[in-house]
Amino acid sequence: MAQKIFTVLVGGKAGEGIKKAAQVIAHLAIIHNNHVFQTDDYQSLIKGGHNFSVVSMSPSRMYNTYKQANLVISFDSRSVDEHKGDLLEGGLHFCDEADVRDDTMIPLPLAKLVKTHYPEAGNMSLASIAIFCAVMGISEEFLKDTIAREFKRNQAENTSFALAVYQLVNQLDLQKVYELKQEQSVASKFYTGNQLLALGAWAAGLDCYFSYPMTPASSILHYLALKRDQLGIKTVHAESELAAANMALGACFAGKRAAVGSSGGGFALMQEAFSMAGMVEAPLLCFLSSRPGPATGVSTYTAQEDLFFALNQGHGEFPRIVASPDSFERAFTLAIELMNLAWESQSPAILLTEKHLSESATNLRLDISKVDEYQLAQPDSVNYQRYQFTQSGISPLKFPGSDSATDDDVIKWNTNEHLESGFRTDKATNIKLMKEKRQRKSAAIDSLSRKYRRVEVYGKGSTKVFAYGSTALELREAQKYIDFELVVPVYLEPFPHDELAAYRGKEVIVVEHSLNPNFARFLKEKLEIKVKANILRYDGRHFDAGELVNAIREAIDA
Amino acid sequence: MRNLISSKENTWCIGCGNFGIFAAVRKCIKTLHEEGTPLADIVMTSGIGCHGKIFDYLDISGIYGLHGRALATAQGVKLANPKLNVITFGGDGDSLGEGLEHTLFAAKRNMDITLILHNNGNYGLTTGQASPLSDFGYKGLSTPFGNVEKPFNAISLLLEAGASFVARGYSAKIDHLAGILHQAIRHKGFSFVEVLQPCVSYNNTYQLYNEHTAFLDALPSDIEHARALAKDHEKQYLGIFHNETRAVYHELIAPAIPAMDVSARKRYLTEYQ
Repeated sequence: MAQKIFTVLVGGKAGEGIKKAAQVIAHLAIIHNNHVFQTDDYQSLIKGGHNFSVVSMSPSRMYNTYKQANLVISFDSRSVDEHKGDLLEGGLHFCDEADVRDDTMIPLPLAKLVKTHYPEAGNMSLASIAIFCAVMGISEEFLKDTIAREFKRNQAENTSFALAVYQLVNQLDLQKVYELKQEQSVASKFYTGNQLLALGAWAAGLDCYFSYPMTPASSILHYLALKRDQLGIKTVHAESELAAANMALGACFAGKRAAVGSSGGGFALMQEAFSMAGMVEAPLLCFLSSRPGPATGVSTYTAQEDLFFALNQGHGEFPRIVASPDSFERAFTLAIELMNLAWESQSPAILLTEKHLSESATNLRLDISKVDEYQLAQPDSVNYQRYQFTQSGISPLKFPGSDSATDDDVIKWNTNEHLESGFRTDKATNIKLMKEKRQRKSAAIDSLSRKYRRVEVYGKGSTKVFAYGSTALELREAQKYIDFELVVPVYLEPFPHDELAAYRGKEVIVVEHSLNPNFARFLKEKLEIKVKANILRYDGRHFDAGELVNAIREAIDA
Repeated sequence: MRNLISSKENTWCIGCGNFGIFAAVRKCIKTLHEEGTPLADIVMTSGIGCHGKIFDYLDISGIYGLHGRALATAQGVKLANPKLNVITFGGDGDSLGEGLEHTLFAAKRNMDITLILHNNGNYGLTTGQASPLSDFGYKGLSTPFGNVEKPFNAISLLLEAGASFVARGYSAKIDHLAGILHQAIRHKGFSFVEVLQPCVSYNNTYQLYNEHTAFLDALPSDIEHARALAKDHEKQYLGIFHNETRAVYHELIAPAIPAMDVSARKRYLTEYQ
């Protein structure tokens, strides 16, 4: 494990500003040219409990954080107990003097200093930034500027508290284990997965975003709502997921790009609207960010239990697109691709992801070159028929109130089975013809999606490992220590048979975040693979690189 | 102006109150068109039920939506293109049962759209089950021993929810209804029109309405007065119960800048990072 990686873990109670402090630490690492990955482990509560954030940094790309940390900062006794085992050899564990258990911890009078420096409630989480700066040899001035820039309230108290902590740690004369300042410049912007999904959809023309909050998808709504006046976007926090999805369908009818987002529970409520998108042929883009289920499940943790749910979303038969981003870069580009494919094929699309991608963060550059204009099927000027039969099954679009629409145009979208005109029908021959017309779009979607990278392969080796979604990130971090070929189908429907033909019948390891090997079952059906081992995690937590390395070695040796 | 009646076979029962609503709507659209509103700027959404069949008979653009969701769909249409005049047709089961949340929230938001509630007091298309507006004691297939729930009062409910225009018409008084619909559609904000609509097959209320309806003399002096008139036990009052001007949702949430084209979005992202 000769990797040059430094990991910081900050733990304490909810409401203590732990996530924010970790973000500032991540930012400090980025401005010193580090690649950074941040994960936040939190519970569904506002105050108390136990939260911790982890920031891993390195001169090379980071694909995940590590469980074992070089620097642990605990703000309460629970954090000390939870994380004393997470300290790497030679690592430092700072905590309040009252919480010291043994000599692996470095006591600081944190509670006392808070009382001395703040007249009222203080911000203890700033101590983690001060400790990080002292350990990394960042100057006092730099710390002061950082605190002033990032925390607007109680500036004088913040500065004096942070400096007091900084000076105490400096006096310890600790040996430097990681050189923070790196030579190679890195991307300076730090994004969560959800921000990238939002920006990708917006880059592809998103005009209205409709949602009902549900972790871990909520921050898409929060981000776009906040960016209203910069992006020129409309967001609606609807009364329910049912409202959100049906509103989005109305926006599509009016010719505007719309999207919805939720987790599994919210999608269960949107199933009928998803079917409607299939029937009325609406280009509805959906973000489905999974957490452990069933039902309310575990609100703030990660899972991949919704694979078949996404593939089979809605009732009745109709074509759809399902794809899952395997990286933060792809979160941005895939949102663009799916928005475009949805409109080109007038079919609903699901971008399936997980809490681990949605709410983790890394620094990267957006690939703007992927933002392309494209052509929609153009209608004839006379006798417009919404569901006109065509070879591809894709009918020309026209929108009410648009420049091309006249008083003679009657544009009817219909949830009932319908004629080319959009009027309802019950007639056997008509039902058959319209079902076949919609079905033809499956082939059209397959051919349209071929212009995108539907499968990604990372690394080389005789061992072949299959995964999808953010599990691919966890495996790429593990590839720093062990060689294997990681095969990632980005598109799940249409399934990229051609790109994966070489793996047909092969023996592979499948890694996924579910109790049942759903993805393995899916691959068996599609590719007749032989599963050498299923590596499954279903406790809501992401895989650590070390765990994956061990599990893959075990599978190989078995 | 072109004909507004499509060539689809009409399957409402002979004597159905929906014919009166259909006639009043056409009359109202004709007036709107004469006043300069292009037909291309008028769209409808409808739910599922006997009322929803108007989608097939009225030859204007729109969405034949899901049961209960037509008003949510309509709100999306309006937000996406505020220039459009959006009219939703809903039944009492559709708009006050399955989709009650959307009705209350559209009113709460003061969405600038119109909901026409076809109140026939039962689920006509599915053979006469009790609806949210069926009387206590109403006997239908799902309540063979009589409905044990008290009905909502639609006008009172929508007043409470915050609808800025609230009115009631009767399908047999077509000219009066057309006039109300015209004002409702012209109203900037959420307009709600309850239409008393006899169902000749399962809930024939012609005689009741003919004897017990009366026109309001004037706009009630305040909400309390409006609510009292809406709940009057003797008379079903017809006319406008409430009409106020209030900021509309799509203007309140409008971004400070217009939507950008793709190249402008690319430029923004290039500069942003």
